[in-house]
Amino acid sequence: MKEYKLVFTGTTGAGKTTAINAISEVPAVKTDVANTDSTLNKEFTTVGLDFGQINLANGDRVRLFGTPGQSRFDFMWKILTKDAFGLIILIDNSRPEPLADLAVYLEGFAQELRNTPCVIGVGRTEEHHTPSLDDFSTALESKGFTLPVIPVDVRLPKDVILLIELLMAQAEADMQEEFLSQ
Amino acid sequence: MNIDVGILANARNECRKLLTEQVGVLGVVISSVDGFDVASAVTRDLEPAKIAAMASSIAAIGIVVSQEASLGASKSITVNTEDGFVYITNIELAGQLCALNVIANSSAILAQIIYHSGEIKRRLEVS
Repeated sequence: MKEYKLVFTGTTGAGKTTAINAISEVPAVKTDVANTDSTLNKEFTTVGLDFGQINLANGDRVRLFGTPGQSRFDFMWKILTKDAFGLIILIDNSRPEPLADLAVYLEGFAQELRNTPCVIGVGRTEEHHTPSLDDFSTALESKGFTLPVIPVDVRLPKDVILLIELLMAQAEADMQEEFLSQ
Repeated sequence: MNIDVGILANARNECRKLLTEQVGVLGVVISSVDGFDVASAVTRDLEPAKIAAMASSIAAIGIVVSQEASLGASKSITVNTEDGFVYITNIELAGQLCALNVIANSSAILAQIIYHSGEIKRRLEVS
Protein backbone atom coordinates (compact mmCIF):
# COMPACT_ATOMS: atom_id res chain seq x y z
CA MET A 1 0.00 0.00 0.00
CA LYS A 2 1.24 3.45 -0.90
CA GLU A 3 0.48 6.61 1.02
CA TYR A 4 0.14 10.00 -0.61
CA LYS A 5 -0.04 13.36 1.03
CA LEU A 6 -2.10 16.13 -0.53
CA VAL A 7 -2.27 19.67 0.76
CA PHE A 8 -5.16 22.09 0.41
CA THR A 9 -4.26 25.72 0.77
CA GLY A 10 -5.71 29.05 -0.29
CA THR A 11 -7.56 32.06 0.96
CA THR A 12 -9.48 32.23 4.20
CA GLY A 13 -13.05 31.19 3.54
CA ALA A 14 -12.22 29.47 0.24
CA GLY A 15 -13.31 26.15 1.74
CA LYS A 16 -10.21 24.14 2.62
CA THR A 17 -11.81 22.67 5.74
CA THR A 18 -15.08 22.11 3.86
CA ALA A 19 -13.30 20.34 0.99
CA ILE A 20 -11.55 17.92 3.34
CA ASN A 21 -14.78 17.31 5.25
CA ALA A 22 -16.61 16.65 2.00
CA ILE A 23 -14.49 13.66 1.04
CA SER A 24 -12.72 12.36 4.13
CA GLU A 25 -13.56 8.78 5.05
CA VAL A 26 -12.45 9.33 8.63
CA PRO A 27 -13.81 12.04 10.94
CA ALA A 28 -11.82 15.10 9.89
CA VAL A 29 -9.49 16.72 12.40
CA LYS A 30 -10.06 20.46 12.58
CA THR A 31 -8.22 23.17 14.47
CA ASP A 32 -10.79 25.91 14.05
CA VAL A 33 -10.96 28.66 16.63
CA ALA A 34 -13.09 31.77 17.06
CA ASN A 35 -12.15 34.43 14.51
CA THR A 36 -11.35 37.82 16.07
CA ASP A 37 -10.33 39.50 12.80
CA SER A 38 -13.14 41.92 11.94
CA THR A 39 -11.96 42.12 8.31
CA LEU A 40 -13.05 38.52 7.80
CA ASN A 41 -16.70 37.66 7.63
CA LYS A 42 -16.52 34.28 9.34
CA GLU A 43 -17.10 32.91 12.79
CA PHE A 44 -14.29 30.36 12.90
CA THR A 45 -10.89 30.08 11.28
CA THR A 46 -8.27 27.35 10.97
CA VAL A 47 -5.05 28.10 12.84
CA GLY A 48 -3.26 24.76 12.86
CA LEU A 49 -4.21 22.20 10.27
CA ASP A 50 -7.07 20.14 8.92
CA PHE A 51 -6.67 16.44 8.39
CA GLY A 52 -8.68 13.83 6.57
CA GLN A 53 -8.09 10.60 4.71
CA ILE A 54 -9.43 8.70 1.72
CA ASN A 55 -8.67 5.22 0.46
CA LEU A 56 -8.24 4.57 -3.24
CA ALA A 57 -9.73 1.54 -5.02
CA ASN A 58 -6.27 -0.05 -5.31
CA GLY A 59 -5.79 0.13 -1.53
CA ASP A 60 -3.53 3.16 -1.58
CA ARG A 61 -4.25 5.84 0.98
CA VAL A 62 -4.39 9.61 0.46
CA ARG A 63 -3.86 11.78 3.51
CA LEU A 64 -5.41 15.20 3.13
CA PHE A 65 -3.98 18.20 4.94
CA GLY A 66 -5.41 21.72 5.02
CA THR A 67 -3.33 24.76 5.89
CA PRO A 68 -4.45 27.93 7.63
CA GLY A 69 -5.23 30.57 4.99
CA GLN A 70 -3.71 33.69 6.47
CA SER A 71 -0.08 34.40 5.60
CA ARG A 72 0.79 34.97 9.26
CA PHE A 73 0.60 31.18 9.46
CA ASP A 74 3.02 30.66 6.57
CA PHE A 75 5.32 28.62 8.84
CA MET A 76 2.57 25.97 8.81
CA TRP A 77 2.52 26.08 5.00
CA LYS A 78 6.15 24.93 4.97
CA ILE A 79 5.61 22.26 7.61
CA LEU A 80 2.54 20.79 5.94
CA THR A 81 3.85 20.72 2.36
CA LYS A 82 6.98 18.78 3.26
CA ASP A 83 6.96 15.60 1.13
CA ALA A 84 3.54 16.42 -0.30
CA PHE A 85 2.55 14.68 -3.50
CA GLY A 86 0.45 17.60 -4.63
CA LEU A 87 -0.93 20.99 -3.78
CA ILE A 88 -4.46 22.30 -4.32
CA ILE A 89 -4.84 26.08 -4.12
CA LEU A 90 -8.40 27.24 -3.47
CA ILE A 91 -9.34 30.80 -4.34
CA ASP A 92 -12.56 32.54 -3.30
CA ASN A 93 -13.76 34.63 -6.26
CA SER A 94 -16.05 36.69 -4.03
CA ARG A 95 -13.08 38.31 -2.33
CA PRO A 96 -11.99 41.77 -3.49
CA GLU A 97 -8.82 40.74 -5.35
CA PRO A 98 -8.74 37.04 -6.22
CA LEU A 99 -5.76 37.40 -8.57
CA ALA A 100 -3.74 39.12 -5.86
CA ASP A 101 -4.77 36.29 -3.51
CA LEU A 102 -3.45 33.77 -6.03
CA ALA A 103 -0.16 35.65 -6.21
CA VAL A 104 0.23 35.35 -2.43
CA TYR A 105 0.08 31.55 -2.61
CA LEU A 106 2.24 31.29 -5.72
CA GLU A 107 4.87 33.25 -3.85
CA GLY A 108 4.34 31.48 -0.54
CA PHE A 109 4.72 28.06 -2.16
CA ALA A 110 7.25 29.09 -4.83
CA GLN A 111 9.80 26.54 -3.71
CA GLU A 112 7.30 23.67 -3.55
CA LEU A 113 5.76 24.56 -6.93
CA ARG A 114 9.06 23.89 -8.65
CA ASN A 115 8.55 20.15 -8.28
CA THR A 116 5.07 19.57 -6.82
CA PRO A 117 1.99 19.16 -9.04
CA CYS A 118 -0.60 21.84 -8.37
CA VAL A 119 -4.20 22.58 -9.32
CA ILE A 120 -6.13 25.80 -8.79
CA GLY A 121 -9.79 25.59 -7.73
CA VAL A 122 -11.82 28.79 -7.92
CA GLY A 123 -14.96 29.00 -5.83
CA ARG A 124 -18.12 31.13 -6.05
CA THR A 125 -17.63 31.74 -9.78
CA GLU A 126 -21.35 31.49 -10.47
CA GLU A 127 -22.16 34.60 -8.48
CA HIS A 128 -18.82 36.32 -9.11
CA HIS A 129 -17.87 36.09 -12.79
CA THR A 130 -14.69 38.16 -12.68
CA PRO A 131 -11.88 37.45 -12.79
CA SER A 132 -12.62 34.68 -15.29
CA LEU A 133 -10.80 31.36 -15.37
CA ASP A 134 -8.90 32.70 -18.40
CA ASP A 135 -7.78 35.66 -16.29
CA PHE A 136 -6.39 33.19 -13.73
CA SER A 137 -4.58 31.25 -16.46
CA THR A 138 -3.11 34.47 -17.86
CA ALA A 139 -1.97 35.51 -14.37
CA LEU A 140 -0.36 32.10 -13.90
CA GLU A 141 1.39 32.27 -17.27
CA SER A 142 2.74 35.73 -16.48
CA LYS A 143 4.48 34.16 -13.49
CA GLY A 144 5.75 31.22 -15.51
CA PHE A 145 3.20 28.61 -14.42
CA THR A 146 0.97 26.41 -16.55
CA LEU A 147 -1.49 24.90 -14.11
CA PRO A 148 -5.06 23.62 -14.42
CA VAL A 149 -7.69 26.09 -13.20
CA ILE A 150 -11.25 24.89 -12.64
CA PRO A 151 -14.40 26.23 -10.97
CA VAL A 152 -15.30 24.31 -7.82
CA ASP A 153 -17.98 24.07 -5.20
CA VAL A 154 -16.02 22.45 -2.40
CA ARG A 155 -19.22 21.39 -0.64
CA LEU A 156 -19.67 18.83 -3.42
CA PRO A 157 -17.53 15.71 -3.07
CA LYS A 158 -17.49 15.23 -6.86
CA ASP A 159 -15.86 18.65 -7.32
CA VAL A 160 -13.19 17.94 -4.72
CA ILE A 161 -12.51 14.51 -6.22
CA LEU A 162 -12.16 16.17 -9.63
CA LEU A 163 -9.42 18.43 -8.20
CA ILE A 164 -7.58 15.38 -6.90
CA GLU A 165 -7.98 13.51 -10.19
CA LEU A 166 -6.55 16.49 -12.06
CA LEU A 167 -3.64 16.56 -9.66
CA MET A 168 -3.00 12.84 -10.22
CA ALA A 169 -3.18 13.32 -13.99
CA GLN A 170 -0.75 16.20 -13.77
CA ALA A 171 1.66 14.14 -11.67
CA GLU A 172 1.46 11.33 -14.21
CA ALA A 173 2.14 13.75 -17.08
CA ASP A 174 5.12 15.18 -15.18
CA MET A 175 6.52 11.68 -14.65
CA GLN A 176 6.11 10.82 -18.35
CA GLU A 177 7.81 14.07 -19.33
CA GLU A 178 10.65 13.33 -16.94
CA PHE A 179 10.98 9.80 -18.32
CA LEU A 180 11.04 11.00 -21.94
CA SER A 181 13.65 13.63 -21.19
CA GLN A 182 16.06 11.02 -19.80
CA MET B 1 -10.37 41.85 19.23
CA ASN B 2 -12.12 44.40 21.41
CA ILE B 3 -10.59 44.51 24.88
CA ASP B 4 -10.80 47.42 27.26
CA VAL B 5 -7.68 49.61 27.11
CA GLY B 6 -7.24 49.38 30.88
CA ILE B 7 -7.18 45.59 30.76
CA LEU B 8 -4.72 45.71 27.85
CA ALA B 9 -2.46 48.06 29.82
CA ASN B 10 -2.56 45.64 32.77
CA ALA B 11 -1.73 42.77 30.44
CA ARG B 12 1.26 44.63 28.96
CA ASN B 13 2.44 45.49 32.44
CA GLU B 14 2.23 41.84 33.54
CA CYS B 15 4.19 40.76 30.46
CA ARG B 16 6.86 43.38 31.18
CA LYS B 17 7.13 42.36 34.84
CA LEU B 18 7.61 38.69 34.02
CA LEU B 19 10.22 39.57 31.40
CA THR B 20 12.24 41.79 33.69
CA GLU B 21 11.81 40.02 37.02
CA GLN B 22 12.40 36.39 36.07
CA VAL B 23 15.84 35.17 35.11
CA GLY B 24 16.12 33.75 31.59
CA VAL B 25 12.80 35.00 30.23
CA LEU B 26 13.25 36.23 26.67
CA GLY B 27 9.70 37.08 25.78
CA VAL B 28 6.15 37.09 27.07
CA VAL B 29 3.28 37.32 24.60
CA ILE B 30 -0.44 37.19 25.18
CA SER B 31 -2.14 36.16 21.95
CA SER B 32 -5.70 35.74 20.73
CA VAL B 33 -6.87 32.22 19.91
CA ASP B 34 -6.60 33.04 16.21
CA GLY B 35 -3.01 34.15 16.43
CA PHE B 36 -2.90 37.91 16.98
CA ASP B 37 -0.53 39.61 19.40
CA VAL B 38 -2.68 41.21 22.12
CA ALA B 39 -0.02 42.29 24.65
CA SER B 40 3.68 41.56 24.82
CA ALA B 41 7.10 42.31 26.20
CA VAL B 42 10.04 40.78 24.40
CA THR B 43 13.75 41.11 23.97
CA ARG B 44 14.63 42.62 20.63
CA ASP B 45 15.29 39.30 18.86
CA LEU B 46 11.72 38.08 19.13
CA GLU B 47 8.75 39.08 17.00
CA PRO B 48 5.49 39.04 19.01
CA ALA B 49 3.34 38.74 15.87
CA LYS B 50 5.14 35.59 14.79
CA ILE B 51 5.10 34.09 18.29
CA ALA B 52 1.36 34.79 18.55
CA ALA B 53 0.61 32.98 15.29
CA MET B 54 2.81 30.00 16.15
CA ALA B 55 1.36 29.73 19.66
CA SER B 56 -2.12 29.73 18.22
CA SER B 57 -1.27 26.78 15.93
CA ILE B 58 0.48 24.85 18.70
CA ALA B 59 -2.38 25.45 21.14
CA ALA B 60 -4.99 24.40 18.57
CA ILE B 61 -3.09 21.21 17.79
CA GLY B 62 -2.81 20.58 21.56
CA ILE B 63 -6.59 20.84 21.83
CA VAL B 64 -7.24 18.25 19.10
CA VAL B 65 -4.58 15.91 20.51
CA SER B 66 -6.16 16.03 23.98
CA GLN B 67 -9.62 15.49 22.45
CA GLU B 68 -8.37 12.54 20.40
CA ALA B 69 -6.83 10.99 23.51
CA SER B 70 -9.95 11.77 25.59
CA LEU B 71 -7.86 13.63 28.13
CA GLY B 72 -10.22 16.54 28.65
CA ALA B 73 -9.53 20.18 27.94
CA SER B 74 -5.98 21.20 27.06
CA LYS B 75 -4.59 23.53 29.73
CA SER B 76 -0.99 24.16 28.78
CA ILE B 77 1.78 23.08 26.44
CA THR B 78 5.50 23.05 27.09
CA VAL B 79 8.07 22.84 24.33
CA ASN B 80 11.36 21.79 25.88
CA THR B 81 14.40 22.58 23.81
CA GLU B 82 18.17 22.18 24.13
CA ASP B 83 18.57 25.78 25.19
CA GLY B 84 15.36 26.58 27.00
CA PHE B 85 11.62 26.18 26.73
CA VAL B 86 8.37 27.70 25.56
CA TYR B 87 5.44 27.53 27.94
CA ILE B 88 1.92 28.20 26.61
CA THR B 89 -1.13 28.31 28.84
CA ASN B 90 -4.73 29.44 28.46
CA ILE B 91 -5.71 32.78 29.90
CA GLU B 92 -8.88 34.84 29.76
CA LEU B 93 -8.82 38.55 29.07
CA ALA B 94 -12.16 40.27 29.57
CA GLY B 95 -13.88 36.93 29.13
CA GLN B 96 -12.08 36.20 25.85
CA LEU B 97 -9.90 33.13 25.60
CA CYS B 98 -6.26 33.92 24.86
CA ALA B 99 -2.89 32.24 25.31
CA LEU B 100 -0.04 33.36 27.54
CA ASN B 101 3.30 32.44 25.94
CA VAL B 102 6.58 32.54 27.80
CA ILE B 103 9.85 32.00 25.93
CA ALA B 104 12.84 31.38 28.16
CA ASN B 105 16.42 30.20 27.94
CA SER B 106 17.95 27.44 30.05
CA SER B 107 18.69 29.73 32.98
CA ALA B 108 14.96 30.02 33.68
CA ILE B 109 13.25 27.48 35.92
CA LEU B 110 10.15 25.97 34.36
CA ALA B 111 8.32 25.41 37.65
CA GLN B 112 8.86 29.02 38.60
CA ILE B 113 7.54 30.23 35.24
CA ILE B 114 4.49 27.98 35.58
CA TYR B 115 3.86 29.44 39.04
CA HIS B 116 4.23 33.05 37.89
CA SER B 117 2.12 32.41 34.79
CA GLY B 118 -0.61 31.13 37.09
CA GLU B 119 -0.34 34.29 39.17
CA ILE B 120 -0.58 36.49 36.06
CA LYS B 121 -3.57 34.51 34.93
CA ARG B 122 -5.27 34.96 38.30
CA ARG B 123 -4.59 38.70 38.41
CA LEU B 124 -5.65 39.39 34.81
CA GLU B 125 -8.74 37.25 34.98
CA VAL B 126 -10.08 39.20 37.94
CA SER B 127 -9.12 42.60 36.56
